[in-house]
Amino acid sequence: MKQRFISSVQIILQLALTTVGLTGQTYPGKPKIIRCRSLEKETFSCWWKPGSDGGLPNNYTLFYSKDSEEKIYECPDYLTSGPNSCYFDKNHTNPWTTYIITVMATNEIGSNSSDPQHVDITSIVQPDAPVNLSLETNTSANMSYLWAKWSPPPLADASSNLHVYHYELRLKPEVNEEWETVSVGMQTHYEVTSLQAGVKYVVQVRCMLDLGEWSEWSSERSIQIPKERLPPEKPTIIKCRSPEKETFTCWWKPASDGGLLTNHTLLYSKEGEEKVYECPDYKTAGPNSCYFDKKHTSFWTIYNITVRATNEMGSNVSDPHYVDVTYIVQPDPPVNITLELKKSIKRKPYLVLTWSPPPLADVRSGWLTLEYELRLKPEEGEEWETIFVGQQTQCKMFSLNPGKRYIVQIHCKPDHHGLWSEWSPEMYIEIPTDFRVKDMVVWIIVGVLSSLICLIMSWIMIMKGYRMMAFILPPVPGPKIKGIDTHLLETGKSEELLSALGCHGFPPTSDCEELLVEYLEVEDSEDQQLMPSHDTPSKNTKIILKETDSDSGRGSCDSPSLLPVKSRESRGLPSALQTQDVRAKEKKGGKGSRETQCTASEQKMLPCSSESIKSCTWLAAQLPGNQAAMFAYHSTVEAFRITLNTTNVNTSPVLVGNEENRQSLYPIAETVYDDEEKISEMEYSKTDQTTVQVRQNQQNDKSPFLNPKLMDYVEVHKVRQDDEPTLLLKHKENSGKTKKNPVPGTSKEYTKVSTVVDHHILVLLPDQRTQNTPVAQEPVAETSQNPQESQGEKSTDYSTTAPSDSRGDTSGSDYMDPSSFMPSFK
Amino acid sequence: MLLTKEGVTSLPICPNGSVNCQLSLEELFDRAVKLSHYIHFLSSEMFNEFDERYAQGRGFIAKAVNSCHTASLTTPEDKEQAQQIHHEDLLNLILGVLRSWNDPLVHLASEVQRIKEAPETILWKAVEIEEQNKRLLEGMEKIVGRVQSGEVENDIYTPWDGLPSLQLADEDSRLFAFYNLLHCLRRDSHKIDNYLKVLKCRLIHDNNC
Repeated sequence: MKQRFISSVQIILQLALTTVGLTGQTYPGKPKIIRCRSLEKETFSCWWKPGSDGGLPNNYTLFYSKDSEEKIYECPDYLTSGPNSCYFDKNHTNPWTTYIITVMATNEIGSNSSDPQHVDITSIVQPDAPVNLSLETNTSANMSYLWAKWSPPPLADASSNLHVYHYELRLKPEVNEEWETVSVGMQTHYEVTSLQAGVKYVVQVRCMLDLGEWSEWSSERSIQIPKERLPPEKPTIIKCRSPEKETFTCWWKPASDGGLLTNHTLLYSKEGEEKVYECPDYKTAGPNSCYFDKKHTSFWTIYNITVRATNEMGSNVSDPHYVDVTYIVQPDPPVNITLELKKSIKRKPYLVLTWSPPPLADVRSGWLTLEYELRLKPEEGEEWETIFVGQQTQCKMFSLNPGKRYIVQIHCKPDHHGLWSEWSPEMYIEIPTDFRVKDMVVWIIVGVLSSLICLIMSWIMIMKGYRMMAFILPPVPGPKIKGIDTHLLETGKSEELLSALGCHGFPPTSDCEELLVEYLEVEDSEDQQLMPSHDTPSKNTKIILKETDSDSGRGSCDSPSLLPVKSRESRGLPSALQTQDVRAKEKKGGKGSRETQCTASEQKMLPCSSESIKSCTWLAAQLPGNQAAMFAYHSTVEAFRITLNTTNVNTSPVLVGNEENRQSLYPIAETVYDDEEKISEMEYSKTDQTTVQVRQNQQNDKSPFLNPKLMDYVEVHKVRQDDEPTLLLKHKENSGKTKKNPVPGTSKEYTKVSTVVDHHILVLLPDQRTQNTPVAQEPVAETSQNPQESQGEKSTDYSTTAPSDSRGDTSGSDYMDPSSFMPSFK
Repeated sequence: MLLTKEGVTSLPICPNGSVNCQLSLEELFDRAVKLSHYIHFLSSEMFNEFDERYAQGRGFIAKAVNSCHTASLTTPEDKEQAQQIHHEDLLNLILGVLRSWNDPLVHLASEVQRIKEAPETILWKAVEIEEQNKRLLEGMEKIVGRVQSGEVENDIYTPWDGLPSLQLADEDSRLFAFYNLLHCLRRDSHKIDNYLKVLKCRLIHDNNC
């Protein structure tokens, strides 16, 4: 007992726990009565929806009471109407009573009841849908009817089958959306008229008792309404065609068949025959066609063809079609089309088209003659180009655009009548890019290459020309005078030689070449002119010499020398100089005025010198060559002698200044009066007769406005009075700014003794090859501008020593530096 | 004088394609085919022009059946017949058809002038066809003379009695008479052209044109 008690307590606890919800088990939820319905007013059923079951199996119980009684009943039949339902059979159904119905759900934990439902039988009547709907169509007198039959809804109680239903029928064509509803009444069949023929209809029915609601619509039934039954309409003969002028085929298009199976027959009669024949072959050419084989085909004969369509309702005949087969020949398209690209002699591509007549056409017998037409266009083109080619079966196409893809088609036609065939399938051909264009490319490449080669060649030529200069100007043998430093001569550089000729840059300008030529001329003229002047030492100061000679770089160192000489003199003897200048001016007049100014003093000269470049150049063109005669270095000898003769000055140091900035002609212009000037100079400077001073004066320092060129001059240090005349050339640099350059290689002076004349007079020639003046004891300083400097030095080299004669000295100042040309030409 | 003249004229200028200064059969056929082609081209054009201008909607075609005056000449109606018939017979048939058209063409050329508002192109073609038909007939006689072993039959010929119909007062009937004549001319000229082409391929090219 005690144990039992304990166990019962446990159960109670468990129940308590479950009610608390710890296990999720609870009393059932509220069920709900969904619907009560009576199919036929004599019975009814109610259905409910269970609430939550509380996690436990539930029992449902339906209780009802009647409004007339207090008593509560339970449901008489839970099974008949399915689960969660209660069926009230006839005995439990009273149409005059209102039922109050509740459903109670019960489980282990507790129970729950639905809300009560009041049910009046008459208000819940709704029958089931009618069944066994069947449809039929009937056609009479070209009208179609639809006959629909159905059965009333079956009832559970088979005995109560006397109910009267009202029916409704609705129908629509299958494709439509909207229904057409028809009230049928109480009969279970209906006939629908005014239907569309040939349309499929869908039909449904529903029913209703005298009170209550309409049932659901019955399941759909559909039926095809047959078409009208009519005799066929007139068929149409579309066309007749003979593909090869031996047979032919005619096609027709049937019209409406009247909804009946319709037969078509083709009938024809031939010209000259009364008899009407039927088509010999309906099959070969497909449906709705008639094929006339060779036997049945005549030419130059008119066929009268008709097509008759027949069905149950009657028949109809097409309009007659008159055919002379001669005129209806339409061949098939040509075949075996080939496209071939060929090259003509001119290498222009052209297109060769070949084709064959259609296989059916017998052109060999001459019975059928075909003519061809082809068309083509670029693939992207719009318009076809059509070419009629007659009876030939090949064609050549020229002048096609290269690089384009062409579409080609061919068709054919009998020679006189008939129709063009269909176009043959499209053929594609790509015309290659014009061969000429390729040639052009080749030629362009060749041209570019050849021009390149030309460039290289010319470049080489220029380079060679560079060397050729050296070749053209043969090396002049170095001076072979005792006491001349040969070292200096030998260490000369070829570039310096070049620069001496005025070729500053690369490539050389034409000026250089001119100079070269002139230079060569000088050499010749020198000797020629030296000798006669030599032989006949006249008082005339002018020695005929070409102007070019004096210009030439080698020629005269004289011109630049003038200035330094003067400047020096001006320093030393200002008063005397000035007087000289005045004299010079007076003598020379307008022409010489400028030069005199220049020579007058350094200061005055400075601005002039720059101008002189132009003016001197101009002068160079104008001055006659003979004026310069005495100033050439080689002429100094004569000049010396001449001056000696003319002026009777015993001795005077010869000052040869080299001023590069001066145009070579400038001194020439000067010379006329310079002579006098020098003479006067010499009078002042009484030096040893045997001493000839050739100075190179660099005046850069003194004249900042002058072109910063070398103003070096060579001073002949000493001429010994021995039997063997020896020259000592001194390189002196007067400039303060420019540094003395002791490197012997840089000095470019040299001298060459051309001849030794009697009275111990030396004739000196410059040697271009050896650029070191052996006599130069002080190497020429290099100024900042090398090319100019070197030229300047060159020119100084040419300043040759001469027997001391102030006059010759000064007159020899026409030494010309080729470098001085350069700016003026630029 | 006469002799020299004869001497000059007796030097024939040999035409191209001639053998022993005689036109070859091939050349004869070439010319005949060209001519027949041309005649058919003309008659075809003329028929079309007339049809367009006068015959539209009158249903002439239906009436034109079986009414050509040459219909009595049995000519090949298809390729097989044309190939089977002996070439001499075919040549004689051609000659017969050509001869049969001599008379009607003359009348056509004159009567066509009376058609109301007859276009110049039709008038001109009628005259041209008449002339060319004669030339073709000459050429065909030459060919037949060359090909044929026996004597040339001159009797193949169908008379034409259609002149009154071309002069009918009723315009519709008169136009139909013209229509029919032109229709028959087109047909027969095509026949001749076609037969000649067949004969040429057969006799000259051995059926391998």
